[in-house]
Amino acid sequence: MSPTAPTRVSVCNLAKRYGPIEAVRDVSFELVPGEIFGLLGQNGAGKTTTIECLLGLRRPDSGSLSIGGIDVLADPVRARQCVGAQLQSAALQDKITPQEALRLYASFYNKPADTNNLLAQFGLTGKAHDPFDSLSGGQKQRLFLALALLNNPEVLILDEPTAGLDPQSRRGLHQIITSLRTAGRTVLLSTHNLEEASMLCDRIGILHEGRLIANATPAELIAQARAHPRVSFRTTQPLGATQVAALPVVTNHAPQGSGWQIATTDVNRTVSGLVRLMEATGNEMLDLQIQRPTLEDVFIELTGQAWAQTSTEETA
Amino acid sequence: MSTGKLLIGLTHHFLLSLKLNFRSMQAIVYGYLVPVFFLLAFGSVFRGEIPLLYHQMGQLLTISILGGACFGLPTALVAERERGVWRRYRLLPAPTGGLVASTLLSRLVIVGSAAVLQILLARLVYHTPLPQHLGQIFVAFLFVGFAFLGLGLLVAALANDVPAVQALGQCLFLPMIMIGGVGVPLAVLPVWAQHIAAFMPGRYAVDLLQRCFTDPHGLRGAGFSLLALIVIGAAAGCAGLKLFRWDSSRRVNRSTMIWVGFALLAWVAIGLAATATGRLDPVLPDAIAYETITDEQINRITYEGLPGDDELATRLSPPFKNNEVPERAREFALKLKTWPQGRVEDPGQAVRNLLSIAAIADVGADLREAEIGRVVFDELQDRYGRDQLCQLLAWVILRPDDGSVITFIPDLRLRRNLSETVVRQRCALYAKKYLGRLLHKLPD
Repeated sequence: MSPTAPTRVSVCNLAKRYGPIEAVRDVSFELVPGEIFGLLGQNGAGKTTTIECLLGLRRPDSGSLSIGGIDVLADPVRARQCVGAQLQSAALQDKITPQEALRLYASFYNKPADTNNLLAQFGLTGKAHDPFDSLSGGQKQRLFLALALLNNPEVLILDEPTAGLDPQSRRGLHQIITSLRTAGRTVLLSTHNLEEASMLCDRIGILHEGRLIANATPAELIAQARAHPRVSFRTTQPLGATQVAALPVVTNHAPQGSGWQIATTDVNRTVSGLVRLMEATGNEMLDLQIQRPTLEDVFIELTGQAWAQTSTEETA
Repeated sequence: MSTGKLLIGLTHHFLLSLKLNFRSMQAIVYGYLVPVFFLLAFGSVFRGEIPLLYHQMGQLLTISILGGACFGLPTALVAERERGVWRRYRLLPAPTGGLVASTLLSRLVIVGSAAVLQILLARLVYHTPLPQHLGQIFVAFLFVGFAFLGLGLLVAALANDVPAVQALGQCLFLPMIMIGGVGVPLAVLPVWAQHIAAFMPGRYAVDLLQRCFTDPHGLRGAGFSLLALIVIGAAAGCAGLKLFRWDSSRRVNRSTMIWVGFALLAWVAIGLAATATGRLDPVLPDAIAYETITDEQINRITYEGLPGDDELATRLSPPFKNNEVPERAREFALKLKTWPQGRVEDPGQAVRNLLSIAAIADVGADLREAEIGRVVFDELQDRYGRDQLCQLLAWVILRPDDGSVITFIPDLRLRRNLSETVVRQRCALYAKKYLGRLLHKLPD
């Protein structure tokens, strides 16, 4: 984040409890124009609660929130005028058509976008007069994105926009989200898809048990990771454990299928050593893969928990 | 957002809600077919009334509005909340109260259109006269709609899901239908039920709407009913709005009951006010005087399906020839002339009492039943002129439930104690046999 960029979204010391459960604890972050910020966390981490507080849908127990300089707690209705949002488990009436929905929602905004243009932009022109319940999952999500963009918002908040979508629809939505950044919009994206967060987001905040335990770019997060790069390989003549352990700067090694996976502090030196060993023993490399540390490694290091790839909806 | 922009948005929402209602088959069945069914059911149940349904339109319209408010509105609201429609609405830069208000308004229009349909169909099918006060019935409808939609909103706020709407809606609907003066006419209810009805809004809704049909003064003098509906509707509406949940994950809690208590307090307050101001005097059935029976009504009476004079029911001797009156019949005729209940001041009641004698003798299988039937007919002809007797008998036929009947006459040695319903039925049958003879439509 540039230190001189104006802040479009500010969350400061946010806290929210549901009875005995502390859903969000002292969460703070800021978003600047043209930034896609990913809020990453497992189910129940507090992503949806944070977003709902930010949209003025839930009143936090403490903390301050602002969007476009408007205090969300003091004037939630005005704040909603300059933010577009797509919520989890939101829906439309079964028999409403995309065109009717867009026109209805547009009628509440001061300067709404052209609904026909939005239909065209999101590939829904052919479905403009079809009832909502006849649309596919991807078409519904695109319609919700179109609804979120109706007021030409500077800030977009998307809560699990690709949950439950097939890979093709997900890729389509990724392209749309990327184009929003190009248009200078600020996007707060909640997801529990690590790959998606890594690919789309300029910065990632990791929520765990209601706390924001990390807030940095994906590269910074990965660079902070203590995990070492991993090299996986297979050879025509199997190598022994002693030979593998003797390779330069190897910190760990384990058999993997008919080959090995090793962890190293310096990929170049290890791979060079491996090539030399092949030449010296007349052996031949069949397969070689290098894996850098990922967000999953970062998450495991930060939380001490494995990342659960589930797609069930978060409720807290 | 400016107020103008908000109003444009809410108007859009109102119109779209109406449009979506007409796209739902379920909404059309509940909103329009069920009221038509009630109209036809009432037409069958109250088929003896003249003009048909004229005195039941208040009840009929109240049932439609109550159904639309207690079931239609909350079912739609809760279903939308469960789906997440209201979660999406909450993202709009509009207050939730405004969206709720436009939803209520669209429901009011839907219920109103069903009421208009009932009035027009009643006119078309049963020739029921239109309301005497068309402008006032609109006002009455607004008050009734306000009260019931307030209750519907509260039901929607309390119900966690659609099945719960049905359960809660029935808790309001059934008591008002059964003992609240809505389904069963107030005058037919026992006094204790009439007292309970004073605590329920249905009674006041029926009163207001019915006045617009039949009362020459319309809503003049209906201040208490108007007040009752305003108070009950406002309390329920406030509680409903306060407890309104846009998200199904939010559940009702203990503090909810305070607001429910507040809404019910309005019912209690109205009931107590009705008691304190003497409005709990029992309502008796409206007796239509026999004099109002017209020749046209008498001529419309048909005589098909009457039992024969020698059959098991309503036996009737042929006319006695001169000086051939059986001794026991003569004795009975003499007693009849001085029988006190036959001498009551009101001719309508006197005729009903005399017919009760024939009815009891017939149902009780008295050995003299056929002779008694004839003696009663002769006595009626001795007492009243032909035209008056025709009116009196027609009144008994057309208004079988008016006045009272006697079910036990030991002083005439008719000791079988019978049910009132059976006696009323037989009275009407004997009245038909007598009237048919007077008009020469039945052989004698």
